[in-house]
Amino acid sequence: MTIELNFGVILSEILLLLVGCFIFLFDRFFKNKGYAFWLTLLSLLIASGLLLISPFGGFTLSYQNDFFSIVFKFIVLFGIFLIAILSKNYLTYHSQLNYGEYYGFLILSLIGAFLMLSSMDLITMYLSMELMSFPVYLLIALNFAQQRKSLEGSFKYFLAGAMGSVFLLLGMGLVYSATGSLFFMQIAQSLFGKAELTYVLLGFLFVLAGFSVKISFVPFHMWAPDAYESAPLPITSFIASIIKFVVIACLIKLLMVAFIPLKAKIGQILIPVVLLTILIGNVLAIKQDHLIRMLAFSSIAHAGYAGLGLITGDLIGYSFTIFYLLVYLIMTIGMFSIAVFLANYQKDLLYIPKLSGLSQISPGLSFLTLIFMFSLAGVPPTAGFMGKFYLFIGLVKSGYIWVAILAVLFSVIGAYPYLRVLKFIYMEKTEETFSYRWEPGVWFPVSITAFLTLLIGIYPKPWVDMVYRTLYLYLTFLFYPY
Amino acid sequence: MEFLQNNLLSWILWLPLLGILPILFLGKRFEDTAKCIALFTMLIDFGLSVLLLFSFDFQNPGFQFVEKRLWIDSLNSYYFLGVDGISILFIPLTTLTTLLCITISWHSIKEKVREFYLALLFTNIAIVGSLCALDLLLFYVFWEAMLIPMYLIIGIWGGPRRIYSTLKFFLYTFFGSVFMLIAIVYLFFKFGTFDYTKLLGVPLGGLAEKLLFLGFALAFAIKIPMWPVHTWLPDAHTEAPTAGSVILAGILIKLGAYGFLRFGLPLFPHAAQEFAPLLLLLSVIAIIYGGLACLYQDDLKRLIAYSSVSHMGFVTLGIFAFNPIAMKGAILQMINHGIVTGALFMCVGIVYDRTHSRAINYYGGLASVMPVYAAFFMIFTLASIGLPGTNGFIGEFLILLGVFFTNKLLVVFAALGLIIGAGYMLWLYQRVFFERVNPNIEGLAPLRVNEFLSLLPMLVLVFFIGLYPKPFLDYMTTSIEHLLNNLRF
Repeated sequence: MTIELNFGVILSEILLLLVGCFIFLFDRFFKNKGYAFWLTLLSLLIASGLLLISPFGGFTLSYQNDFFSIVFKFIVLFGIFLIAILSKNYLTYHSQLNYGEYYGFLILSLIGAFLMLSSMDLITMYLSMELMSFPVYLLIALNFAQQRKSLEGSFKYFLAGAMGSVFLLLGMGLVYSATGSLFFMQIAQSLFGKAELTYVLLGFLFVLAGFSVKISFVPFHMWAPDAYESAPLPITSFIASIIKFVVIACLIKLLMVAFIPLKAKIGQILIPVVLLTILIGNVLAIKQDHLIRMLAFSSIAHAGYAGLGLITGDLIGYSFTIFYLLVYLIMTIGMFSIAVFLANYQKDLLYIPKLSGLSQISPGLSFLTLIFMFSLAGVPPTAGFMGKFYLFIGLVKSGYIWVAILAVLFSVIGAYPYLRVLKFIYMEKTEETFSYRWEPGVWFPVSITAFLTLLIGIYPKPWVDMVYRTLYLYLTFLFYPY
Repeated sequence: MEFLQNNLLSWILWLPLLGILPILFLGKRFEDTAKCIALFTMLIDFGLSVLLLFSFDFQNPGFQFVEKRLWIDSLNSYYFLGVDGISILFIPLTTLTTLLCITISWHSIKEKVREFYLALLFTNIAIVGSLCALDLLLFYVFWEAMLIPMYLIIGIWGGPRRIYSTLKFFLYTFFGSVFMLIAIVYLFFKFGTFDYTKLLGVPLGGLAEKLLFLGFALAFAIKIPMWPVHTWLPDAHTEAPTAGSVILAGILIKLGAYGFLRFGLPLFPHAAQEFAPLLLLLSVIAIIYGGLACLYQDDLKRLIAYSSVSHMGFVTLGIFAFNPIAMKGAILQMINHGIVTGALFMCVGIVYDRTHSRAINYYGGLASVMPVYAAFFMIFTLASIGLPGTNGFIGEFLILLGVFFTNKLLVVFAALGLIIGAGYMLWLYQRVFFERVNPNIEGLAPLRVNEFLSLLPMLVLVFFIGLYPKPFLDYMTTSIEHLLNNLRF
């Protein structure tokens, strides 16, 4: 086996790393911090261009550029592009956060996400996950100036993440002792035709537990509300959408590429976890009065829904999971953009009862909230419905009708918190009013995501096909390269 | 014209969108413009649906005006529309009801005007869509999408307890339809298609058929609503604004019965027959219970809402008798109930706008204050009771006649419901319109033009169907025979 050092394939990461380092080193010399935003935007655009022209292939055995990583990196780039625009708007209203480092950390985290999507061995995967997470811990703590609680949130997230890392490393050790390798392809080879899988299964369960922290599966979910509430809002949407997307995508990659014989078993094990995640997320969301805490619990529930696709352990289920995460990414960024808009004008607007009568003040914004809320609740014709519908199809197809029925019933419970938000916005009245301006930093992400939410809800076909073909082609090229 | 004729259903379905888009971008100052746009759109839409009525071929039992385009190919799902004798009458009824809802709310909706008309137009799309969708996934999308505008209509413009009612309405119906969703997904996996016409011939049977039928039946029974899942209805109907009550009573709850006719019976014939005795029993309970509950009410709207439970009991009774006469009666009764109860809710809305009270003892002697209004109300009351010469009579008579062939005992109890019906409606009329003039209502303004114009078409239809029901029955004859023949293979 030859080790390739093909720099062409990691150009986009290199570029992002250079930009990140530049920001950290030279931030001092810029009086006007606006440069960091434009630099970030520019580097994101160039990175997407580089991604487009980068050839398939590996950089050493640990990193691989293929269908899987390129398509999902584009989705991540799309998300982070919107989040960067949103951040610019958020930072102008919360100037105590306005450091170049904010974008620097964002870019570092993005590099972590990129590396994780491309990683081909467990060590790289672990390190890139930490690279993705650490800047986020810091970004939450950066919020300290305006919100004392943010240290608590950051620390909780950090401790939970550290616990996850411990599990992950322990699992990796077990896997190594059982298979003698940490490279995905070699693990797959050593598991091929192997009857005794207990150690590997145990190892993988620890790996799964490590991932569950980031995905916020029950019982590793309790950090979420505190971290979400205390982070700067664009970062919250980053934690909720992109980190979940990347981590679950990698989990799927592990199952599809390395731990193939475990797929069905893991699916079985995940059934109670996923159902409990949905139930607990939905039930705890009911009573939340803080919009962000409500969205945090709903995000737990949505992670559970996404997990429904992992139960079946086949390519179709996996592609539906990723489709759902894509839909969730779009909805969440949209909803958090609205939250940013509210927080810009009045901090306490983030309390749901304070939203009363918002439709009198801003009918347009209320209408967009309506779209996102019904999408999160899973009512057609929105993307949220289509995402859930595909997941249920995957479940019923493999005979897990009872899981589908339970998940559907929980989604009825889950509709309530969103209806409650709409209740305050549309059905309560208020005397208060505030003046606002529609700034591109908010309306751009909101309108794009709202448009996509409706578009995917009405015509989901190309998006599902894209995800399915990506996984299919990825596996085909990986195992039958010629 | 050619293009219009070829895609007539799509035009009727999507035309309100042409009204929605400009209203969406109108500023706050253009509320009157928004109203006019909505009215104009619905006028054209109603005109198109009348055109649909006249271009229908009576002899053809199958689907007409069929449009089929690929929607999601990996799911084998189509944008598949079509109407037959069962559904065709509901489409003009829907567009007419929405049109009248716009006119009746012309002066009474004062806040969030644009949003109100947007919600009405959106409801119209969703209802027409679920009436002519022949692809189960498409049907489900429209069926659920209906909840969004209704949630808002009840919750924003409703009465004092509107929030409780609208949440109850939403969660109840959402709960019912998710079981239908699972049943639809299961059907898709068993037979690889959402296409209604293909699913018709598939062999089902045993436990699966029963469970699937129950999945669909729960969704439809909650929508109708049958006893004992009716409890959302009195709250929702009472607290909704006039237009909301009219849409709910006039068309929305018909969709449950329509669902039974379109999906419940033909797709699961054995299960439907097996559960028919149970459903017949529930229908009779609904008739009697609804009627008795009416006698107890002291709220005008709540009384009419409970009378809907009773009348919809007749409809389900007619459907599950599996008899062509009763089934014709059931469909006609749905139309009738849409007209009459819709009109009654409009009538209540008219006085509610003036007095802001729905309590029956708030009124009294209204006949001498608003004579024209009293005449309208009298006619609709009589139609609701089922007096010969009005449309209510034809529907109920046909149902009872048809059921008489299958089960005589049920007819006795159902006829008892008729008598209770006469009791509560006449008593209501007496308490509100006769007796001494209550000082609360002295000097109420007479009927406005828009109110008069909204009631008039309903009045015409009451007598038209009552005196000459043949054209309406002709629409359904072949389709119902076709349906029942398929049930008895």
